[in-house]
Amino acid sequence: MKFVDEFRDPAAARGLVRSITRLAGDDVFKFMEVCGGHTHTIYRHGIEHILPPGIELVHGPGCPVCVIPMGRVDDAMWLAEQPGVIFTTFGDMMRVPGSRGSLLDAKARGADTRFVYSPLDALKIAVDNPDSHVVFFAVGFETTAPSTAVTLVRAKQLGLRNFSVFCNHVTIVPPIRAILESPDLRLSGFLGPGHVSTVVGTRPYRFVPEVYGKPLVVAGFEPLDILATVHMLLQQIRDGRCEVENQYGRVVREEGNVAALRLLAETMTLRPHFEWRGLGFISQSALKINDGYADFDAEVRFSMPGIRVADPKACQCGEVLKGVIKPWECKVFGTACTPETPIGTCMVSPEGACAAYYNFGRMHREAADMIGATASV
Amino acid sequence: MTMTQEPAALIGKDLSDDLAAASLALARKFHAGATLWVVSPQWEPHAHHVAVEFVHPVIMGKRALPSVALVDPDPVAQARVATRPGDVIIAVASAADPRVVDLMRRAPAWGAQTIWIGFGARPAAGSADHVLWVESDDPMVPATGRFVLMYHLLWELTHVCFEHPGLLTMADDGGRDCTDEVCVTCSDEGRLGEVVMAPESEVSPALVRTATGEEAVDVTLVGPVEPGDLLLVHAGAALTRLDDVTGAAS
Ligand code: SF4
Repeated sequence: MKFVDEFRDPAAARGLVRSITRLAGDDVFKFMEVCGGHTHTIYRHGIEHILPPGIELVHGPGCPVCVIPMGRVDDAMWLAEQPGVIFTTFGDMMRVPGSRGSLLDAKARGADTRFVYSPLDALKIAVDNPDSHVVFFAVGFETTAPSTAVTLVRAKQLGLRNFSVFCNHVTIVPPIRAILESPDLRLSGFLGPGHVSTVVGTRPYRFVPEVYGKPLVVAGFEPLDILATVHMLLQQIRDGRCEVENQYGRVVREEGNVAALRLLAETMTLRPHFEWRGLGFISQSALKINDGYADFDAEVRFSMPGIRVADPKACQCGEVLKGVIKPWECKVFGTACTPETPIGTCMVSPEGACAAYYNFGRMHREAADMIGATASV
Repeated sequence: MTMTQEPAALIGKDLSDDLAAASLALARKFHAGATLWVVSPQWEPHAHHVAVEFVHPVIMGKRALPSVALVDPDPVAQARVATRPGDVIIAVASAADPRVVDLMRRAPAWGAQTIWIGFGARPAAGSADHVLWVESDDPMVPATGRFVLMYHLLWELTHVCFEHPGLLTMADDGGRDCTDEVCVTCSDEGRLGEVVMAPESEVSPALVRTATGEEAVDVTLVGPVEPGDLLLVHAGAALTRLDDVTGAAS
């Protein structure tokens, strides 16, 4: 078990793989990880290849960069190109293709676009540049939205007039529900998102076992956490149980972060619906800025084009995001679509299923095919 | 070393795999400039013994590897000051020693890798980067027993890895393509941080130590913090305080 030796606490990992293999027997299981961070861990550490052949890990829509539709990227580029605007965002959004190229292309054309690590860094740029208007392009699930909420509160406290947020925060529960409603998929259970759950807690997932009869285990990000989570899912199935469990108890509390949820409720509200790339419109799946903070809402302060743009014809990101096809089954994977020249968003961020597979998975799969390897214990 | 049994009988297959993996990781860290810090709060002679072994060359002409025993009654406080990102901490201790449990939990926030050597009940899975564990031993016998065999093997195998410089220049991931650029948002990133200085006012950030150094972190969402508190940091804000939460990877 070469890969296992590179995990944290390889001895514990080895024990878990043995136990998983025993529990799985000859049956077939299909577990979806919803979070891009889990996808990255799975590919980086070759976890798929140390699991027994009957266990398939399906990669879900958990990369918020990957699900931003082209029209929103076009709006971001339009904002970045407005005179006097300093446009700020997290690194990966810079490369996401819209219909007229990416924010990096806008930067090359002269737009003042800057990477930031935190929305609070964008706020600092606004304080330091009173003659410019600083826009922060906010993306991310409930893990990231609280940082934006803190930033909005700080902006109000400081009475800033030259700062706004282009809010594209999305929420995790609606896409899980959409996937469960999809007739294409037959899942055995879910690896629930880790850090999103530090904010929302574990209660919002109860509908997964209660309504859809699927187990969900909130998982941490170490390879050992992924293995422990798969083990807990199998154990539930073998025990005839179906519930929400928390493998990431060292970080995640059942009630989440109450202060963060309160701040989110103060600064943001659910949009009636929001378009997800590849998944279409999902109701109540994204956040917009509250009226009380409208002065900091880029969608209020600027008249953005807001034009809906269809995905490129060749793009099969939707099927990848729903786990219907594996990245390498997309017709343009690794040929027309690579991390250097992404066609779809799943190839942009290292946590996107296609990029993660392109960077790490190919090799494991080729190696496994070559040696005819499956889980060997 | 006085051994009464063959090493193969003392060190089983799994443990020898773990020893090899720990030795390679240790060699890579030394190669990159690490210092090894050794603690054994219950059995201080082991800390001195491990440090002495690493610091003296195994054979004439081999490298002396920087290694220091930390024997202060508060190993957490001493290691906090001593370690730099990239260093390694070895603990020789039982799983029940609260000082070592605490040390192992904090080490990732200091950017230190950890090796835990012990016997009896194992620590919770994932408590250290490498857990080298035996069923039983007599820890009061500093010159014999499996502990001693284990850290001698660790020391010697580390030197064996130095014989293969190609291994040392590989990334920690074993030389696979390293594209370890991680996106703050989509990776759902959360990094462990330890508070160094509480915020000066309600609106100012705390100074927090993470594996990559010190940074300003907003703590609005976790309430008042004190030096030593462990936080999970995402996009410049603390999302949760780890001390409030119990449990470990099971
Ligand atoms: S290969 Fe490219 S176009 Fe195809 S699904 Fe992946 S990201 Fe989308």
